[in-house]
Amino acid sequence: MILLQVIVGGLLIGAVYALFSSGLTLIWGMMNVINFAHGEFVMLGMYAAFWAFTLAGLGPAGFAPLAAVLLFILGVFVYLALVRHVMRGPMLAQILSTFGLLLLLRYSAFWAFTANFVTLPDDLVGGSINLGGILVSAPKLLAGVIAILLTAGMHLLLTRTAIGSQILAVAEDRQAAMLMGIKPDRMQALAWGLSGASAGIAGALIATFFPISPTVGESLTIIAFVTVTLGGFGSVPGAMIAGVLIGLIESLSAFYFGPIFQDVVVYGLFVVILWVRPHGLLGKA
Amino acid sequence: MPRKPIIGWLALAAVLIVFPLVFTGAYYEQLAAFVILSAISASAWNLVGGYAGQVSVGHAVFFGVGAYMPLLFYKLWEASPLLGFPAGIVVSVLIAIVIGVPTFRLSGHYFSMATIAVAELIRILVSDWDFLGGAIGLMGPATPRGWWDLVYRSSVPYYYIFLAVLAVLLYITHRMERSRFGYYLRAIRAGERAARSLGVPVSRYKLYALMLSAGFTSLAGSLYAVKFGFVDPGSALGILVSVQMVVMAALGGAGRLLGPLLGAVILVPLQTTTNTFFGGAGTGLAFILYGGIIMLLSRFEPGGLLELWERFQARREARTARGRALLGAGEDHAA
Amino acid sequence: MLLRAESIRMAFGGFLAVADAGLEVAEGEIVGLIGPNGAGKTTFFNCLAGDLKPSGGRVLFDGADITLASPEAHAALGIARTFQVPATFDEMTILENVMVGAFLRHPREKEAREAARRTLALTGLERLAEHKAKSLGTPGRKRLGIARVMATEPRLVLLDEALAGLNPAEIQQAIELVRMIHRSGVTLVIVEHIMEVVLTLAERIVVLNQGRVIAEGRPKEIVNDPAVIDAYLGRSHARRAHQP
Repeated sequence: MILLQVIVGGLLIGAVYALFSSGLTLIWGMMNVINFAHGEFVMLGMYAAFWAFTLAGLGPAGFAPLAAVLLFILGVFVYLALVRHVMRGPMLAQILSTFGLLLLLRYSAFWAFTANFVTLPDDLVGGSINLGGILVSAPKLLAGVIAILLTAGMHLLLTRTAIGSQILAVAEDRQAAMLMGIKPDRMQALAWGLSGASAGIAGALIATFFPISPTVGESLTIIAFVTVTLGGFGSVPGAMIAGVLIGLIESLSAFYFGPIFQDVVVYGLFVVILWVRPHGLLGKA
Repeated sequence: MPRKPIIGWLALAAVLIVFPLVFTGAYYEQLAAFVILSAISASAWNLVGGYAGQVSVGHAVFFGVGAYMPLLFYKLWEASPLLGFPAGIVVSVLIAIVIGVPTFRLSGHYFSMATIAVAELIRILVSDWDFLGGAIGLMGPATPRGWWDLVYRSSVPYYYIFLAVLAVLLYITHRMERSRFGYYLRAIRAGERAARSLGVPVSRYKLYALMLSAGFTSLAGSLYAVKFGFVDPGSALGILVSVQMVVMAALGGAGRLLGPLLGAVILVPLQTTTNTFFGGAGTGLAFILYGGIIMLLSRFEPGGLLELWERFQARREARTARGRALLGAGEDHAA
Repeated sequence: MLLRAESIRMAFGGFLAVADAGLEVAEGEIVGLIGPNGAGKTTFFNCLAGDLKPSGGRVLFDGADITLASPEAHAALGIARTFQVPATFDEMTILENVMVGAFLRHPREKEAREAARRTLALTGLERLAEHKAKSLGTPGRKRLGIARVMATEPRLVLLDEALAGLNPAEIQQAIELVRMIHRSGVTLVIVEHIMEVVLTLAERIVVLNQGRVIAEGRPKEIVNDPAVIDAYLGRSHARRAHQP
């Protein structure tokens, strides 16, 4: 029974990993840019949720969309002010740009919020739910379900709507898209916004069951890297599958080897993936 | 590459050699030693990050391995920490191979992502392994049993040891710049596809650059361990170590011989000052500052200060040349 | 045969860029490779150059199978290629750019430098040796691209649209350069859009359309080949070409 609980818990957190990783893989596939600060975006989403609750009494139904909107704006801003200027330049500039952003965001958060962990109250989203004998944490269940829906929604947005196909067109062939009257700059900014929103809302969801501190970005960034690599360059469905898998593996590792080693296993798995199947499950070659 | 006149080199060497004899006192001596040590790690990073253009943001792993080895040898076998130096280099180079072989045949992002992941991986392992001191770390010999323990009360002997190592590293880098290895690395940085078409074995050379870089970074870590006599996961394997190397090399001028030294000379005193003024919060402030500097560099001057200087010089020369040309034409007309 | 490509097939997922293409180049020839847009020229060219691994078929150089050989291996064997958009090493000087090529055959810096200088003289770039490559305009970059490649002392050079983007005067100079390279003993395969250039330079022409070779022969024959005219201009023009 305990094992089943662990598995379900892992799948649920994996769904949240899938959500923010799909945002990362979207911009990677589109612009060949990796946002090293992506984990910090999630962290900021967590804090947005916390402050919205603490200052304005907003519940998840309020602070989750709020986090999405705030991080959407941040994503667009980062693209317009920084990324778009370094995208076509030397690799050093590209990597330094978002890496510098990582430092700025993480340590500004340390300075502003201190290193102390804060939490949202346990009873914000129910307690535990009994699903056929398995005890599942209610906030985790809610987070996981919403995350799956949103990730699927992101995929549908990209593949079934007009604006989504415009984004994909720019990702596929910038020149051709321009010839069709699509403005690549606008689409890329939008993609960064979506990426930020996915991270923000994931953070808000995580905040309902996980302690919040400026340090969380560190491991979340690497989890995002592992997930997008396993999922495959630029593939949102790949990120979905990979995210759930990574969540599961992480949960099982914590169960069998202890919480310290959950990170070790996942990071070690990253190296193994790079050696064995770097193009991931569904990546474009 | 424009050749600097030999007098410039002699002047620089003279300043560096004489510095601690002029600026005496524990504070300056310690600061100077730390500047040179930072210049060594930043120059080592520069080999792979600057010259070859492969941006590692997890170089702390090599520094940390190099830092732990000497003190581990001391702890386990009461051996001289010096024996840990080559061990650190070997392990670091092996880690470099594990990271580099799979990622160098892929696009550049994979390598950078892998460096950050592996650095964290090793840090977590070391933090939780009591054998390596866990979160508390390891200590070296408190009093020297002989010259081989490299324990000195003053920072001055360390300063000169570090300076000698830096000189060797910079000399090797200089020779590399003018060799096929150096040209190939710069070609890889400038355009991998074109480099391949000219016969450059791209993946292999990136790996060589990383291995060389890892070895020297490990050496820097080992030197750090014997000077401070103490290592722990935060000080040897933390992200600050990686960031320092990157920002110093990039600020001074990545891919240039003296860039990292210039960056170290500017940033180490700056970081020490903020630490002194702001106490514990100082480290956090340093990060914010570094983050800002790195972002500004990436946006406006990825080539760093030396590149800025070079462009400024070129513009001045162009202006004087134009001026001379105009004057010359004017005189002809007058006559 | 110096270079032989047989039954080359290149599929990208569901899309078949090259269905069945082949080529034979004897030592010392200049062969032109032409075809309308989307014919698969660039893909086929990249298969020859080692940038792409073909889905089927093989490429032989001097009898050895190089189908799966990397671009670096190609260069070492003596096959060089230029790029349509010359990817010059912008921050390096023109001399240094060429030295990268020269280092393939001359591992020591001094000899590589001398060899590079000789190549610069041959290609008319010696006065610009110390200038940064980024200071060059398009014709200069193309010339540098060729100089770099020549420094690797190739036996075969694949020229990818070496004359695109040049004005008539520059085209004349480029043609002269290509002729000079040929005279120095290099075999050439030229992909080109500009008809006059190919017809002037090439001794033999291979025409690709929709991933297949539709014609092969001397320039005069190709120009009048109805299949070729059809491919470029459509059926009606082919019919008209046959009317007196």
